[in-house]
Amino acid sequence: MYLSISIDVSPRDGAAFARLGQQADRIEQAGADFVLLAHETGAGTLEPGRLEAVVTLPWIARRLATPVVVAALPAVHSVPFHIARALSAADFLTSGRAGWLPLLHGGARFDAAYGDAYHLPPGDRVAKHDDFIRATRALWDSWDQDALILNKDSGAYLDSAKVRRVDYRGPFFATMGPLNAARPPQGHPLLVRDLDDVAGSTIPADVVLGGADRLAGVDARGAVRLLKVTAATVEQGEALVRAGKAEGLHVAGPDAIDQLEALRRHYTRQPATGATARARLGLAAPANPYSKKVPA
Amino acid sequence: MSRENGRLHLWAFLQGIGFFPGGWRVEKATPDAVFQRAYYERIARMVEDARFDAIVFGDQLQGRDAAGRTPGRLAIPTLDPFTLLAVMAGVTSRVGLVATVSTTYNEPAEVAAKFAALNFISEGRAGWNIVTTVHPNSPWNFGEPELLEKSARYARAQAFVDAADAFWRQAAGHPAANAADALRNQWFDIAGTLDFPTSPQYRPVLVQAGQSPDGRNFAAQSAEAIFCPAPTIDAGRAYRDDIHERARALGRDPSKMLIMPGLAFILADTEEEAQRKHRHVLELADDQLCIEYLSESIGYDLTRLPANQPFPLDEICAACEFPAEDVRRMLTPAVEAGLSIADACRDYARKPRGHAIFVGTPEQMADRMETWIDAGACDGFTLQPGYMPSELELFCAHVAPLLQQRGLLRREYQGPTLRDHLLGEFRA
Repeated sequence: MYLSISIDVSPRDGAAFARLGQQADRIEQAGADFVLLAHETGAGTLEPGRLEAVVTLPWIARRLATPVVVAALPAVHSVPFHIARALSAADFLTSGRAGWLPLLHGGARFDAAYGDAYHLPPGDRVAKHDDFIRATRALWDSWDQDALILNKDSGAYLDSAKVRRVDYRGPFFATMGPLNAARPPQGHPLLVRDLDDVAGSTIPADVVLGGADRLAGVDARGAVRLLKVTAATVEQGEALVRAGKAEGLHVAGPDAIDQLEALRRHYTRQPATGATARARLGLAAPANPYSKKVPA
Repeated sequence: MSRENGRLHLWAFLQGIGFFPGGWRVEKATPDAVFQRAYYERIARMVEDARFDAIVFGDQLQGRDAAGRTPGRLAIPTLDPFTLLAVMAGVTSRVGLVATVSTTYNEPAEVAAKFAALNFISEGRAGWNIVTTVHPNSPWNFGEPELLEKSARYARAQAFVDAADAFWRQAAGHPAANAADALRNQWFDIAGTLDFPTSPQYRPVLVQAGQSPDGRNFAAQSAEAIFCPAPTIDAGRAYRDDIHERARALGRDPSKMLIMPGLAFILADTEEEAQRKHRHVLELADDQLCIEYLSESIGYDLTRLPANQPFPLDEICAACEFPAEDVRRMLTPAVEAGLSIADACRDYARKPRGHAIFVGTPEQMADRMETWIDAGACDGFTLQPGYMPSELELFCAHVAPLLQQRGLLRREYQGPTLRDHLLGEFRA
């Protein structure tokens, strides 16, 4: 039973800094497996938080020392090069515990803030979301996992043959590479998707969240499935996990941390081994189609 | 207030593994630690204990490759500056945190949101080193064929800063008087701003590094602190006077902006030992490394040419990624002097980025800094350790206390925000 929760601040809260730290400490203490840096709407949908998540992730990961920490970001307004760069660093500095959650919801707010040039018909939003993910991953793939050598005696820092331009060209994004950041420890940080937010993507996610209907309606293809529950639906959710319909619960609502603490009293955290979160979750390492590695 | 803050300001410019390209190979260097959280946490605490104003990370928006070949002997990559500073914010409570961010390949909404977050998690210690992007490979990473022309880059930069400021002012509940113009103009068409949580410093401290006339005007208009190379006291004083003059012409108070020239350094107990360390780190930059280093600076893969021959200028200028006329101007002296590629590249790698380099004892370094301050050449220094982390450790342990004993450097921070450290101003 995996347990997931989201965390954000209110812009009008004068004590927001202290409150965020206290919440993070409680969540760490309770033993969450996933923490989403995202704003949860009353309707149970996620949108990017008031606190920019890519910057917040490496800071809050110090207090959230064990879970996967996931940055929610506006999928159609983010720039692959910047996101690939920042999440590479975040994945290194969390020893492979970083995730990303590209979201379409909350779009109007971001459309306005980014300007008219960014307005898109709804049908194009999922296509742009997919293109954004492909371009970002192509930049991570501009480095092989084992490119770094770091041999002070010989002076070999890296293997030049294991870094290359990828010249990615998609319908919305083009990016040359190589990235000025090494391939993250997880290969690709965990891709998390809110199925209530993105429907019809052609890219499988590593972790998916949604209601029971959503989770039943998709081909999760080996993804970790997290069922969204509130205080009113948590028992029903536990039954569905026992029945194999999901691997864990994402708790939402004003008393989400209480829910998390209560659940953890019943479900001991599963011991797992592996150098990164991806390995501990039993998810396959992503292939690198750009790698020219010759089999030995 | 300013006396308690000290007359001399210190910024730590911590690029990767240090100033010298061969620095990652010295005995005490820890190139693997650069990818680990503990390394940044330890450095941040050390810099705060030494009472620096701020930590600064540079940035680029391109890989380090020359014509597609990534160097194999240079210490790359550098990690994303926001990420490093966010980690450092978690283990410090006073030292400023300055991220270098380009106005050329970003949008005001995203940059405003990131600095609002850094300002929030650090409780008001964020700074923005505002740069424009000039590397010819950068536009390709953003789907653009070529760079913006120079004056357009600076026009966009000014418009960008104004737009970002409108976001921060709006979020702080004090909308800018010119918000409508700042958000809708030739460069941007922004219909609404974003909600950010507030911090004790409503916006990051604005930092600039203007060299050209356009750059100096931009700095004089907006910057609260300015980086510059200054090889001599006279050069420093000339730059400072020029910026002050430009600021006065724009109606700004020059005492509200600090001039912080770069200063790389290598320290030892004796001058002879420091010289030996300097020679050693230069030797560690072997010919292959130096050739890669210059290759990156012109966007041409020199590693494919015979190292014992002079530069084939026409061949290089026909294919290099940097503007051919600049590359020709840069390489011609070496060709005229009859230098081989290896010799010319070694010369080039000895003085990275044109900054002043100090080699000597802690006492001598403190003397030098005091002399520069007394001569009005600067307000402090942007220090670049020769290599990391050991040279920074030496500075913090041996030079910073000397500066404090001489009353030049604060013993305690006088306020919580970065702006407090620069200008001695407390929050209203």
